[in-house]
Amino acid sequence: MTALPQLLVSTVLLGGIYALIAVGLTLIFGIMRVVNFAHGEFLMLGMYLAFWSFTLWGLDPYFLLVVAVPLFFAIGLGIYALVMRGVIHASHNVQIFTTVGLSTALQNVALVFWTGDFRFVRPWESSIVVRILGAAFNLSQVIAFAVALLFTLALFAFMKWTHAGRVMRATAQDGEAATLMGIDTDRVYRLAFAMGIACVGVAGVLVSPLYSVYPTAGLQFVLLAYVVVVLGGLGDMVGALLGALIVAAVEVIGSYVFGSAWKEVIYFVLFIAVLVFRPAGLFGQRGAEALGA
Amino acid sequence: MRRRHAVLSTFIAVIALACASFALVGGTEGQPLQGEYKIGLLEPLTGPLAFEGKRHLDGYEVMRDLINGRGGVMGKKLVLVVGDAVDPTAAGSEANRLITREGVKIITGTYSSTLCGAASEAASRQNVIYWESSCVDPRFNKRGLRNVFRTEIDGTGFGWYNIEFIAKHLAPRFNLKPNQIKIAFLAEDSSYGQGVTEAARQRAKQEFGMQEVAVEYYAFASTNDFSPIIAKFKQLNPDVVHHIARSTDAMLFWRQSREQNFMFKALVHAGATGYGSSDFGKALGADGNGPFVLAEPGPGLRLDSFRPEARKLEQDFSEAIKKKTGDEPLASHRLAGSGLWLLKIVLDHAKTDDLEKFRTAVLSLDMPVGSMLNGWGVKFAENGQNANERVQHYMLQWQNGKMNTVWPEEFTTFRAKWIPLGPWDQRK
Repeated sequence: MTALPQLLVSTVLLGGIYALIAVGLTLIFGIMRVVNFAHGEFLMLGMYLAFWSFTLWGLDPYFLLVVAVPLFFAIGLGIYALVMRGVIHASHNVQIFTTVGLSTALQNVALVFWTGDFRFVRPWESSIVVRILGAAFNLSQVIAFAVALLFTLALFAFMKWTHAGRVMRATAQDGEAATLMGIDTDRVYRLAFAMGIACVGVAGVLVSPLYSVYPTAGLQFVLLAYVVVVLGGLGDMVGALLGALIVAAVEVIGSYVFGSAWKEVIYFVLFIAVLVFRPAGLFGQRGAEALGA
Repeated sequence: MRRRHAVLSTFIAVIALACASFALVGGTEGQPLQGEYKIGLLEPLTGPLAFEGKRHLDGYEVMRDLINGRGGVMGKKLVLVVGDAVDPTAAGSEANRLITREGVKIITGTYSSTLCGAASEAASRQNVIYWESSCVDPRFNKRGLRNVFRTEIDGTGFGWYNIEFIAKHLAPRFNLKPNQIKIAFLAEDSSYGQGVTEAARQRAKQEFGMQEVAVEYYAFASTNDFSPIIAKFKQLNPDVVHHIARSTDAMLFWRQSREQNFMFKALVHAGATGYGSSDFGKALGADGNGPFVLAEPGPGLRLDSFRPEARKLEQDFSEAIKKKTGDEPLASHRLAGSGLWLLKIVLDHAKTDDLEKFRTAVLSLDMPVGSMLNGWGVKFAENGQNANERVQHYMLQWQNGKMNTVWPEEFTTFRAKWIPLGPWDQRK
């Protein structure tokens, strides 16, 4: 099977991109229990940041990461204060309508300011093709994968071994008990939301050399990110990485074997099966999905 | 004295005849317009289809101004009342709004095959004329709706033209007979992609006996990697990839084919989206050299093959689009412009928007190829579809960031290059 090396490399690299997008979502989902339907739009804003910085000042997207992390962290803090704080204790329906509204508003802000035209970021590394053992891949994909791995491990370490991480996990497990123990849950939610938005903003910058930039670019990835989060388990960083690799494998190898038309059938059947038989996700702790709800 | 009378009578007769002829060719040009005539226009102006919807809107607005400078419609100033058809639900509800609140009797638009069905059904429920200028869904005119008309070719026509080009222009230059050509069909899975592909498959197989090596459909909005399809195609080694793309999927497939060194002799697409969008050239520049796109004419078009009135309209439209957008007219502009111009011709002919009289006027039109913008002709069938053979289409090719008209050769000054396509780094 001469195509196997290519399929394996494509799976790993595509999985890296999906993981990068999903880690921010799983953080918000896992700790705040909010389904952020505007997640894809923050990805789109990250892509536009890369585009304008590259077009106006010639800045390479990878140098931009040092700016993107604090910038999107600040945007996350701002959106939390203006929008999310008011609905954090509301019903899931209200939260869904709010984030869907935010998603549509951000899409249309982009459309008004930057039009619906496709934009492109073409740094030097995006034209470099690496060929090893019959597989070919773009250098930008390798960088995106490496950063995704780094971010996932860093977030895992943060959640596991820092005081702030323990506080966030405690809040995720039981918000009321955390409040009784003196934890400022509002601060925890604010931090979780800002970190989640910073992650997806970085993801936007990193995928910009690979995909076109336009106001609804986020929609292309966000549905898959939900699948990844459910497969990996809510709030589980390593689970998100593994879930992303599974989705990518279904997409790449499933398309090759059964045809492209089947790939969505396969991973949504898997998605439903996980929700029905193992709601905590393939790698999450059993019962975790109900905690803090 | 009798001779003076004869000269005077002849003179008056000539003047009267000239006036009558002027009136017949739509000669209210220059006369003041009496009142306004509103037409509803539905295009996706927000959301994922807005990038094309806005280009169509530009085309409509430019043509509206040209029409108003040429006597308006039925002697009135043409006004477009615009609705945002972001998705099929909005297309239906906006159609209702235009009809009930704005009082329009005719709706035009919507460009996308995902929108035209819903919009036209909403118009049909209120017995309002629906005039489609761009969507190519083959099912559009097969629903028995008397109020629905389409000026553009349908998807089966796209498929027909593509196979014509492959069999009669590409095959001889590959030194192959049409039945020796190995063809792989790849398409996004909407009614547009499927409609064009199935028509092409049918003709390729039944009429030319081409060897179909693969048929793959994919969801364009959620396909982020073409590696598995490319890996499969590489093993099947097709001569021609017939790819109906919808959006950025064209750029992604082309870029990944290049990275994975997937070699084929030609890639053929149809329509103003995907490879037919100017964004393909902006994204790839000279790296995008080679794909063929069946579309409305671009640079290289020879206007001497047009009838004089169409030639003048073509020149004025191109100038106005360049002034408005800073660039050559795109297929989207042309589809919108030609659709609206033809609507003016029908309304001036019918002198009313009463559905039955309007329909009679539409069906009575018989204009040869070369009579309209884009070199189109007009002959509508009972089902409201302009005849595919009158809607002259052209094959364009990406050549160094420009989409040049290359076929039929009698209509263009440019010639197709890179047949067959050579190695990826040698297509400059």
